Amino acid sequence: MTDFDKISRRDFLTISGKAGLATLMASAVGVNFGMVHVAEAAVGKGNVTPFRFAILTDAHLFSMPDHKFDAQMADAVDKVMSMKPLPDFVVYCGDIAQNGKDDQLRKGMKILSKLTMPVHYIPGEHDWYLDMGAAWRGHFGSPTWSFDHKGVHFIGMNSILVRDFWTAAGMSAEERMGVMEMLESPIAGPWGVREEQLDWLKKDVKKLAPDTPVVVFTHSPLWDYYPRWNFQTEDAPEIRQILSKFERVMAFHGHVHQTVYNKIGNLSSVGTLSTSWPWPYPDVKLPYPDMQMYRSDPAIFTDGDGAQHIDLESNFSGVMQYDPFGDMLTPAMKNGFKI
Amino acid sequence: MKPNIKNAVMGLVTPVALFGLLAFNPAQAREPFTKAELADQEQELLVVVDHGRDLWHGSKPSMTTNGLACGNCHPDAAGSNPQTFPKFQADLGRVIPIRDMINWCIQVPQGGQPLDVNGEDMVAMEAYATYMYRGEKIQPGLATKQTAPVVVKSGRGYPWKGSGVGYDK
Repeated sequence: MTDFDKISRRDFLTISGKAGLATLMASAVGVNFGMVHVAEAAVGKGNVTPFRFAILTDAHLFSMPDHKFDAQMADAVDKVMSMKPLPDFVVYCGDIAQNGKDDQLRKGMKILSKLTMPVHYIPGEHDWYLDMGAAWRGHFGSPTWSFDHKGVHFIGMNSILVRDFWTAAGMSAEERMGVMEMLESPIAGPWGVREEQLDWLKKDVKKLAPDTPVVVFTHSPLWDYYPRWNFQTEDAPEIRQILSKFERVMAFHGHVHQTVYNKIGNLSSVGTLSTSWPWPYPDVKLPYPDMQMYRSDPAIFTDGDGAQHIDLESNFSGVMQYDPFGDMLTPAMKNGFKI
Repeated sequence: MKPNIKNAVMGLVTPVALFGLLAFNPAQAREPFTKAELADQEQELLVVVDHGRDLWHGSKPSMTTNGLACGNCHPDAAGSNPQTFPKFQADLGRVIPIRDMINWCIQVPQGGQPLDVNGEDMVAMEAYATYMYRGEKIQPGLATKQTAPVVVKSGRGYPWKGSGVGYDK
């Protein structure tokens, strides 16, 4: 029942071309994913040309005009545009919208249009469950994509797919969206990328050599951080298994609205700051407690929010740098940390 | 010296009244409440907790002008820490009970209308937050960490096969 569009590789190039066009329209300067695919043969650890990319995520835009989250998202865009050097591209890790409405997505696109570099998108649950991703796909194309950039293989997947809980319950689209909007709602059950995307992932990485640098983006973490809040992806074990042939994989996720880090086998998992509000940490022992940001001040709306960027080196080591609006980074994170 | 008649009378009346209480109060003859009574009281509480949970998640439109509900920043009431109130609240510059903190959150981050501090809705909000923190040590004034002090151990509501990595195996 997954809402994932089953696409062949050839179809994917076509669709991702459309996605590239949407990106082009959104950002004035765009790169067609399909064209980037031509560079695949050059991917390999020894071929990484150092570069920077940035991640923005979780704006949770409401429909009312002049909402504080609009300004906070715009501030994060300004942060990216003031980076020196500028990132080669930005990945948006989901939840542009709060209630899945097209006007919210359009507002986000307008704010992000100030970015002069390409932007690649994956969806969050708040973008998706009003119309099952119809508006989102209309703007951004397929949520499942890959491209190569300067020797690194980048993958994006839709990790917020749930089993159908609404049909039998006779829920309206708005009711379905309402269920998905609540973080601690147990009704929807666990999220995942599901079979079709797992099959696509297997095919996508089949021909890649084990020393290929791979970076994966999903909305939710690829480990069981705190399943009650869907700080998890149900089929993450299968994803990790498919990617286990690579020497190293970097995974970035949205959804958690906080700094968090874990390392599972060959995979480094990094959480990202939202531009809307910080979530509290669940009461679990963090694998890397130094990566827990300081308490944010509730009186300062932007505290605990921000952007982030990653600098990749020629040997595929990476430096993760959170770019918060306030002063909330521990010494371990302050000047970036190796991932 | 004028005799204190009032004291003399009270000296007689008080022991009699106490004896009456000890001898005839039926509460002394059994446990304070029967199991059935306790179950009824728990049920009454849970009805209020449930109302608080709804309010916490946006059921009362007057509590927000920007669409935000308490649950946006405090899922499972995380980070609300009712066990640490009353405490000094830096932004208000005084020691406050949690109901004042709740109204601060409604008015400032949510831009909404505060609740009547003595009203049923406020009792429900306090009941929900406190119930989520049941069993936590009372520590008034504690400057709390931002983490959720409770792990919600039940109520996932769906079968879960953990992946073996993380904390929900």
